[in-house]
Amino acid sequence: MNFKERFLTAMNHEEPDQVPVMGLIMDPATVNKILEKKPADFVGMLQKPVMANQIKNLLNSNRFWTNMYYGNTSGALEAAIKLGFDANWTIYALMKLTKDTQASVGWAWHDPYGRVWDLGADEDGSMNVNYSRALLDTEEKWEKWVAEKAPLFETMLRNVAAFHRKLVKNYGDRIYPIGYAAPGPFENSWQPIGFVNFTRLIYQKPEFVKKVIAFQTDLYLRNLEAVMKSDVEVVLGGDDLGQKTGPLMRPELIEKLYGECYRRVADLVHQHKKKFVFHCCGNIYALLNKFVEWGFDGIITMEPTAGMDLGKVREQVGHKLVLIGNLDVSYLVVKGTQQEVEDAVKKAIRDAARGGGYILSTSHSHPAVDPLRLKWMVEAAHKYGKYPIAV
Amino acid sequence: MPDDTIEQLRNGMLALEIDAALKATDAVVNSQSKVAVKEAVEAVTQALQVVGKKFQDGEWFLAELVYAGEIAKEIMARLSPLMQAEDSQSQGTIVVGTVAGDLHDLGKNIFINYARTAGFKVIDLGIDVPTAKFVGAVKEHQPLALGMSCLLTSTEKELGKVVDELKKQGVRETVKVVIGGAALSERSASNAAADAFAPDAITGLDMIKKWSAAR
Repeated sequence: MNFKERFLTAMNHEEPDQVPVMGLIMDPATVNKILEKKPADFVGMLQKPVMANQIKNLLNSNRFWTNMYYGNTSGALEAAIKLGFDANWTIYALMKLTKDTQASVGWAWHDPYGRVWDLGADEDGSMNVNYSRALLDTEEKWEKWVAEKAPLFETMLRNVAAFHRKLVKNYGDRIYPIGYAAPGPFENSWQPIGFVNFTRLIYQKPEFVKKVIAFQTDLYLRNLEAVMKSDVEVVLGGDDLGQKTGPLMRPELIEKLYGECYRRVADLVHQHKKKFVFHCCGNIYALLNKFVEWGFDGIITMEPTAGMDLGKVREQVGHKLVLIGNLDVSYLVVKGTQQEVEDAVKKAIRDAARGGGYILSTSHSHPAVDPLRLKWMVEAAHKYGKYPIAV
Repeated sequence: MPDDTIEQLRNGMLALEIDAALKATDAVVNSQSKVAVKEAVEAVTQALQVVGKKFQDGEWFLAELVYAGEIAKEIMARLSPLMQAEDSQSQGTIVVGTVAGDLHDLGKNIFINYARTAGFKVIDLGIDVPTAKFVGAVKEHQPLALGMSCLLTSTEKELGKVVDELKKQGVRETVKVVIGGAALSERSASNAAADAFAPDAITGLDMIKKWSAAR
């Protein structure tokens, strides 16, 4: 079997020749280490005022941004191919570099939805980016923002389609690039407003919240359509509905606010004869049955640091969902020994791979993930993941 | 003031009905009764304990925890000017902040809201707090506990740096160190030589209450 047949066989809950291995490689630090590239000192350059303004003008032009972002993601695919992964996720984001006095380096990325992403440098100098705060903390600001950003949303959707099509065209014969429509409607509705504000609004202005969710649902469906133009048979979507000890909201409330949205998401993907895999961080046992009910085909993440155990998930959902992930990124693929990595891979295969429906992967990615540990993970999957499973 | 005002305040909080809770609060404020104010403060504290327990038991979720905390904050803002010194006697001082390089403050702010209502004096150092600022605050305020929040794996190393510096400055033994955040685990507490790891704000507060009682 080739990588694509292997992946799709597992997605059909059938046993391929061996357990497929999916990479979640995207952080520049990880890519640079794997490809042995020296990172550009982007943060350092931003500290020089004249250069900073030139960089801003360059990055905020759609053409330069699109080319640069494509270059970074193709680097991630090259890195995943080098390590022997069968598949890797690909995510498009549109950001505008903005002078920001609250940001740690004086500049931040502002996204089209109204979030601020702080940027900094990792130990090796590679840039890292993290959601830091909301820009639209009032109803009025939100209304004004989405009206003003309408052209930017259209640009983003055009870019999304072109980006994923190009990646599949250029890499599809060497790896399975799985497009991820991100962020999802839940995150897109609360993060630009802030969690505390959004929670208040749920109780105090439910009609406004309904309007926000309806807007983000329609936009998200268009984003999914754009990702699916790559013609890959599987599409990722996602929302972090969980935190360390449980869902962020009561499951009944999530159903009330977002149930219809997620059903429409799954229906749309199925209308295109594709499968939908949902990325969701945190402790999400209480939502697993909802994922089945909404029509999702699989889930990816299952963070062990949030108490997610692959065997328990399989026990709860059986083969109603394809499971992807669960290998720890807090220690195992950062500092774990080769024996620990092998043991974790064996456990994951033992817990979830029989009958197909399991794709081995880390639970997430971050800049401190060590390529050597990823290599050990792939090697262990090849060693212990052959069907019929014997671990 | 109607006899069931305090009950209405408590029920309003537990039903997450802010208008009902604030209406009862205003009745207490308008009564100008020191006894009623004291009872109202106790009712808010008890209600938040119930909310915290429901959260830990998996009956309530983060959004409800946050909103109940927000209601409590508004009630306390109305009651505070009328509180007597003995009503607001501190259970101890806690210094809190998000470690350097990390700008996430949701968990920290939930903790602060609940800790203040529980009677602790909280010194909030904010986000992206450098090691020297944590250590300086411990030396200045001599707190019962230092709480450090960290969402990102990439900033976890900052926790150990702070504890090392507390040791160097000779103040590590004077303060309990508790850490919390999405990226962390018991292993992180052990690596950083912290006293405890709290998986959520309410558990962290429970730990500090025990340390306070054991003083």
